[in-house]
Amino acid sequence: MTAGIPEFIPADVRARLRDLRLLARRPSGSPGFGAHTSRSRGAGLEFAQYRAYQQGDDLRQVDWKLHARSDRYYVREAERDSPLEAWLLVDATASMAQGDAARPGWSRLDAARGIAACVIELALRQGDRFGVVTVGGEGVAMVPAAGGPRQRNRCLLHLHRLQAAGTWPAAASLGAVGERVGPGALVLVLGDCFDDACVALAEQLSAARREVLTVQILTTEERDFPFRGGYRFTDPESGEELLSDGASARDGFLERFAAARRALAARLAGQGIRHVEYVLDQPLDAPLQRLFGKASGDAGPERT
Amino acid sequence: MSFGLLLPAGLAALFALLLPLLLHLHRRTEQQPATFAALRWLQVQRRPQRRIRFEERPLLALRLLLLAALALLVAQPVLYGAAGDERWVVVAPGIDRAQAREAVAAPDAAWHWLAPGFPALEREPPAGTQPLGSLLRDLDATLRGDAALTVVVPTRLDGLDGERPALRRGVEWRVLEAEATPTPVAPPAPLTLAVRHALPDDPALRYLRATAAAWGAAASGPAANRASIDIAPASEPIGPEVRRLVWLVPGAVPPELRAWIEAGGTALLDAATAAPGPDAGIALWRNAAGEALVLGRAMGNGRVMQLTRELSPATLPEVLDPDFPERLRTLFEPPPQPDSAYAAAHSPRPGGPELPPTPRPLHPWLALLVAMLFMLERWLATSRRRERAA
Repeated sequence: MTAGIPEFIPADVRARLRDLRLLARRPSGSPGFGAHTSRSRGAGLEFAQYRAYQQGDDLRQVDWKLHARSDRYYVREAERDSPLEAWLLVDATASMAQGDAARPGWSRLDAARGIAACVIELALRQGDRFGVVTVGGEGVAMVPAAGGPRQRNRCLLHLHRLQAAGTWPAAASLGAVGERVGPGALVLVLGDCFDDACVALAEQLSAARREVLTVQILTTEERDFPFRGGYRFTDPESGEELLSDGASARDGFLERFAAARRALAARLAGQGIRHVEYVLDQPLDAPLQRLFGKASGDAGPERT
Repeated sequence: MSFGLLLPAGLAALFALLLPLLLHLHRRTEQQPATFAALRWLQVQRRPQRRIRFEERPLLALRLLLLAALALLVAQPVLYGAAGDERWVVVAPGIDRAQAREAVAAPDAAWHWLAPGFPALEREPPAGTQPLGSLLRDLDATLRGDAALTVVVPTRLDGLDGERPALRRGVEWRVLEAEATPTPVAPPAPLTLAVRHALPDDPALRYLRATAAAWGAAASGPAANRASIDIAPASEPIGPEVRRLVWLVPGAVPPELRAWIEAGGTALLDAATAAPGPDAGIALWRNAAGEALVLGRAMGNGRVMQLTRELSPATLPEVLDPDFPERLRTLFEPPPQPDSAYAAAHSPRPGGPELPPTPRPLHPWLALLVAMLFMLERWLATSRRRERAA
């Protein structure tokens, strides 16, 4: 790794990453050989089907034993394992700069960088291609998908330079995301998911046959609401201010916020988007364990 | 006994009570800033707490009490009809304490010296001549109306004024034979007159010289009565021992002369000199027609007098009178007032003015209370802070 880039992944998290694999539920369509189920059939280990010989087929693919039994030419097809294209869509709006008063210097964006670095490590290990899209106040920035350690360094450097500022850009500037992120790619959205436009983008990608996963990064203050006494709450993106008494606002906020999170999870689940929450005091690999770990019921693709 | 305020408007200081209330309320609504992106799920509560709340109520109460006491102090509380001593015995200085106690059999009375402040008899006798007549009137006005008063005086009284004191109460007047302490009479200082003029041929100088000569001729007695005169231009300084001056310079009074008068000098200004103050004073000398010839008033520790007309026979014919030197001397040295009498003949007479009762001021006790409250407040405030910091 380059000397200028700090280590995003703590050692214990890196150790736990060993058991994880990036898996997509949908078969991948990327050409080439890899660890993932492919939609293209051809030579491979996993049997898919027999089909009638057509002119131009390789004679080596003809199943001669079947020909001996049936006097017809059949070609044996197998599913090809193809590499996955993993995209990290990082929200870099101003709200991502928010952290906890109890742990200054650890913001949502830092956590997003850490999770992204973990995913990049996993993709690199599996030989997958990966790219980074960051959406912030300055618009959309991208590291196009590629593989290899140099690509990892490019991505980490891009993440390292990332600053959380501004608001979610207009939908018109987001068109590049859909163009670059190819069909069948795995898109991991890292953000607070407070912006409706962010969720809408995830839904849009999912509807266009990208496998979308969302990690909602929450601060502990949002989960626990530990404020006591008078506070002036400021929304970093809209600049809106609200005077409130911490203790008396707590119950109402926790109730409404939990309802909003449930509604978000239901909305995403309805679109087939896997959604997990990550709170800043949890270990970095926790959302990945829930998405890709052995414990997750729907993580593994069904192999036939 | 009743309570009163000498300055009820001072109670307006009670408005200061709002200050600690505001201070303690203000902290309540102080808002800490917090960045919070999930703002939309936070209920809009413009008023965090409807109820008015105060922090640190004991400290607030103490501060309110302190300010209320201060406002009361400003309003000058007094106590009317306070219980005082039933009987007073005042002893004039010069009388032996034991002798006085022997002469007046009043063991339960309050014994005091007849001196300013009326110190208790156990204290040292006050030195010097006291203004006895004035003190008696003062005591009569200050004492409760029904308190009995006994005055013990020596045979001869000094420090009196022109009138027999008229008191509103009957006074037991006890005259005791005391050793006559001859009051030292200061020998009169020789009259030295300085004359400062603007013109050396001022016609007034002739008459002043003649006056000084007349003083010298009249002084046939002791040398102290002799007079000397020092005539010089205005630029000459005035000698340090000279306390009397005739100023014959027209125009404004220079600041040095003003300072000299305020340090205790007596100056007679020419008619052409501008009066040093807005008020010329009262007439000290009138002619036969009743017109004021010399006006005078006090200025600092000294006196300033001014001629109303020029010092020449044409305007001031009295200059030619044979008693002009004596008149001028009287202006500079007023004759002493009679202030001694035989005590037996100077007993106070009844019929003094009926005065409203003198209230007893409460501010010393209130000031003490304020100081104690302040220290308590400081202690509470700082200890609270220490506790919070810990």
